[in-house]
Amino acid sequence: MALVTRTSLDGKVVTIDISGRFDFSIHREFRQVYEQDQGTTQYLINLRQTEYMDSSALGMLLLLREHAGGDRANIKIMHCQPEVKKILTIANFHHLFCLD
Amino acid sequence: MVSASVVPHNPVASSAPFTVLIADDDRINRMVLHAMLKKDGHTVYVAENGHEAVTLFEQHQPDLVLMDVMMPYMDGYEATSRIKALTGERFVPVIFLTAMTDAQALVHCVECGGDDFLHKPYKHAILKAKIAALERVRQLYTTLQSQKNALASHHRRLQREYEVAEKLFSTIVHPGCLDAPHLKYLLSPMSIFNGDLLLAARKPAGGLHIMLGDFTGHGLPAAVGAMPVADIFYAMTAKGYAISDIVAEVNQKLKAILPTGVFCAAALLDLDATYSQLTIWNGGLPDVLVCQPSGGPLRRLCSQHLPLGVVDNTRLDRSVEVIEVMPGERVYAYTDGVIEASAPTGEMFSQPRLEVYLTQDCAPEQVFETVCDGLTTFRAGGPQRDDLTLIEITCDAGLANHTSPEATTSYVAKAPACWHMAFALDAMTLRTLDPLPQIMQMLMALQGLHAHRERLYTILAELFANALEHGLLGLDSALKHTPQGFVAYYTAREQSLAALEHGCINIALTHTAMGTAGQLTLRIEDSGPGFAYQRCQPDLAANTTHSGRGIPLVRALCQTLTYHGAGNCVEAVYVWSQGETNVSQHEP
Repeated sequence: MALVTRTSLDGKVVTIDISGRFDFSIHREFRQVYEQDQGTTQYLINLRQTEYMDSSALGMLLLLREHAGGDRANIKIMHCQPEVKKILTIANFHHLFCLD
Repeated sequence: MVSASVVPHNPVASSAPFTVLIADDDRINRMVLHAMLKKDGHTVYVAENGHEAVTLFEQHQPDLVLMDVMMPYMDGYEATSRIKALTGERFVPVIFLTAMTDAQALVHCVECGGDDFLHKPYKHAILKAKIAALERVRQLYTTLQSQKNALASHHRRLQREYEVAEKLFSTIVHPGCLDAPHLKYLLSPMSIFNGDLLLAARKPAGGLHIMLGDFTGHGLPAAVGAMPVADIFYAMTAKGYAISDIVAEVNQKLKAILPTGVFCAAALLDLDATYSQLTIWNGGLPDVLVCQPSGGPLRRLCSQHLPLGVVDNTRLDRSVEVIEVMPGERVYAYTDGVIEASAPTGEMFSQPRLEVYLTQDCAPEQVFETVCDGLTTFRAGGPQRDDLTLIEITCDAGLANHTSPEATTSYVAKAPACWHMAFALDAMTLRTLDPLPQIMQMLMALQGLHAHRERLYTILAELFANALEHGLLGLDSALKHTPQGFVAYYTAREQSLAALEHGCINIALTHTAMGTAGQLTLRIEDSGPGFAYQRCQPDLAANTTHSGRGIPLVRALCQTLTYHGAGNCVEAVYVWSQGETNVSQHEP
């Protein structure tokens, strides 16, 4: 499974682990995660196992951001591999998301 | 010999009556079968041998054939082969009725095209069941065939619509002046529609604007966004707007029309008229690379901004990077499709590999072809997963001066009239607005001097830049004498302009008619301290430095250029005549 979701006990923090390729093939699962959620205040996107991401993945992150309140969204993108980090940096996504 | 008995079918007897061809040399057999099928409401044709069976089949195209094996003139095997060859895409079941029981003979029945067989003597109920079963298969086949045909015609229609749309699309998203000799490019879309965008246009005062864009995804949905972008890019470039203005306009448009999650990574490049200064805005494209003609390290212009269409204009950073480029330097911009192009093994072409190709030891004019060949070899015919675009710009003013047919538009100047217009621009206006495009617009509307547009724009732009940069901002162009200073100059310009609190620039344009000729006087006055204009270098040809070319250039384009007062007021007189384009230009 390329996408695994964990929710904290109080239901406020949702962690999404993405392994392998982060691209259009998982857009349905990715969208389901935030469409089903109730009362989530923070999203953690764990990209430790992500080998590659394309521009449609960037688009999915923007959709999540909009769903989570736009500028008020609390989304943290974590543990990026160098290649993935580079894609996020070229797109200047550090202006929109918290990258560690 | 041919005795066909046509029995009109009885719609009551069967829900789906069809036509059956019986081939048997035994009269009794024929009669029995005929009677039975007729009773079920089917239309029946009867043949006494194989030859006759083929003839009747051709004439009546029955839905089912009942075939005896041993017959005179032509046996059942041969007749079946011929009938099957005649059916084309239709499925017509052939059932062998035979007294033979040896396995080899039965196998042969199927080999020559038979669909089933029944031993004589057979029970009528069994034959009826077999006919019903094969009829089901035949109907399935017919349904499948008609679906296949519908799909094929749908596909053909879509293809036609695509082709029409593509024609429309390429008219709007036309390549501008990409055919210029100092530009080389590779466009490799995945499908008919390209989600990558490559546009080039000459600026009114000389020089070039280039835009490379990459929309999220590919194919038609990605390509649709390209249409408004191309419109804005060409219209604004022609009106003399700077790339930062175009960036803002395109961003606003895309933010409004694109759904969240779809955006356009883009780089806009501006080469000035002398091809010595490159201005760039890179939002989300891979590093734009500048290569020296003699090899050596690459200069990188990294993405500094979010892609277009992600945030609204209040959060858009429209600041640009300015660098000095040397004659013969080459600039490469490309979409991620190039570095992510994959070999059949899954390995990516990658940025390091691209840079190896760009810095390798080979003639500068062959680098582009070498990169393209390298890319093709690397991909080795593997599937393409994204649109792929690469452009090379050679910074060679000699090549740049080449004029393309698209530049010669047939606008007609209006008869010379008398008018005056004046602008007083305060510090706040100067901080937020570039007034030149609007002034040029009005000038064109009033007098239609399209043939003079580039020269007029140059005069206005040079004099305005001097008034702003030296008069109000107090910048020293001596800074521009070194490449480092060059960058420092433009950084200082940006900072001082943003902090500008006081001062103003007055621009006045006066036009008078002199028969069929017209005289335009441009007067620009700034509130700065002025300068020692008497010591200004008048000779353009003798000037080989990076700066100070502005005034001699303007002098060469005008009838007269005079400074007044402390040097904070300048007046340029430009004379034009209907039917001529360059009366005012005297040899320097």
